Amino acid sequence: MSKAAIPQSEQEMMNARLEQARRQLLQSEKLAAIGQLAAGVAHEINNPVGYVYSNLQSLESYLTDLFRLTDAVDSADSLDSLKAIKQNIDYEFVRHDLKDLLAESREGIERVKTIISAMKDFSHIEEEEFKPADIQRGIESTLNVVNNELKYKAEVTREFGDLPPVECIISQINQVVMNLLVNAAHAIDDFGEIRIRTREAGDTVIIEIEDTGRGISQDNINRIFEPFFTTKPIGKGTGLGLSLSFNIIEKHNGRIDVESALGKGTCFRIALPAKQPRAPEDS
Amino acid sequence: MIKIQLVDDEPNILSSLRRLLKPQGWEVHTYDNVESALGGLLEHNYAVIVSDYQMPTADGVTYLQFAKQRQPDAMRLVLSAHGDRTSMIKAINQAEVYRYLSKPWNDYEVVATIKSAIDLYQLKVENRQLQNEVDTQKAMLRAREQELLRLEAENPGITRVQRDADGSVLISNND
Repeated sequence: MSKAAIPQSEQEMMNARLEQARRQLLQSEKLAAIGQLAAGVAHEINNPVGYVYSNLQSLESYLTDLFRLTDAVDSADSLDSLKAIKQNIDYEFVRHDLKDLLAESREGIERVKTIISAMKDFSHIEEEEFKPADIQRGIESTLNVVNNELKYKAEVTREFGDLPPVECIISQINQVVMNLLVNAAHAIDDFGEIRIRTREAGDTVIIEIEDTGRGISQDNINRIFEPFFTTKPIGKGTGLGLSLSFNIIEKHNGRIDVESALGKGTCFRIALPAKQPRAPEDS
Repeated sequence: MIKIQLVDDEPNILSSLRRLLKPQGWEVHTYDNVESALGGLLEHNYAVIVSDYQMPTADGVTYLQFAKQRQPDAMRLVLSAHGDRTSMIKAINQAEVYRYLSKPWNDYEVVATIKSAIDLYQLKVENRQLQNEVDTQKAMLRAREQELLRLEAENPGITRVQRDADGSVLISNND
């Protein structure tokens, strides 16, 4: 009985298999992207860890000096010998520097914390359902994750409008934004600008990512959403980023458009409905 | 006074290194961008230059290559959070760095490396000084020798005059 129920039609089976393959592709592209980012993230974390760690050792030597002074309060025979010790440990410097040392170390730890939580926000691998989400927060997390890829290539400016919560799979939207940001940075030869704009237009939310990079030629612009199409050297790009971005946005019932001028730059525009039409299709 | 130059785009790194190196009594100059670090090269002679690898306007290898032309004696070190093969190869082959240190660093290792770099720097400088001394002495000797030859040519035998202990000229019977 149950056997007869399964093969409803060949086409449905094929569709299911296609959908499964597409999801696997999405997942592997995401892992590849994270792998590419890992080196950058390590750099971002190694810097603060480097100075916080070194500061802790300096702190230890300051404290040893200070304890020498406080211990001497009991044993010293005169005030002058205490003063001599105070002079000797460069008390004024230590006192002044301790404040900076702690403030800088705290800042370093904050940075590590931000990066780690951004990575967590960014991945959300387990989440696969449509939920109202804060797009701007997603963009900020993504920026934190890719900061290392961007900061040596471009100044990032944000022009954020007021956005309603958007019903979406935020980890997938983050992935699209990451693709566009990394592409924007790769398109810039020396140092340029990347502008991120968001605004509400009726029932939809618009995200624009514009760069001042090389631009895309007319020949290529029709092919950028094709799977495996890439102009990057082998090993630099999989050619899947934009095609998967296109799929993700399509699945969200949104649109992704591109405008580009050679030598001037490129602007990608994503339009997403704030609310998904009825129940999002099962897949 | 031994001068050390530190270049890193991150000010917090510079201040923690400053703390680390302070007890050593070296004169430590810190720069958070390549342009002002280049300015520093014009004003001071450094024993050791420590540079970050990845910086906004120019990478550390490019900077150190420039520093090598300006101050060939200064020992060059890279301190980088970016320990990939390509950057290391570039640092070694192009900037001819003395050591490639990675972030997060080990305090002891950084201090010990700078110390041994300073030793080498001082050896180089001392070597150059001794070489100069030898050269001037050689030049002096040559001048003196030539003067003697000239005198001998003008007045044969004058350079071979023998004197007694009281300074009087001795005339031998052989001539």
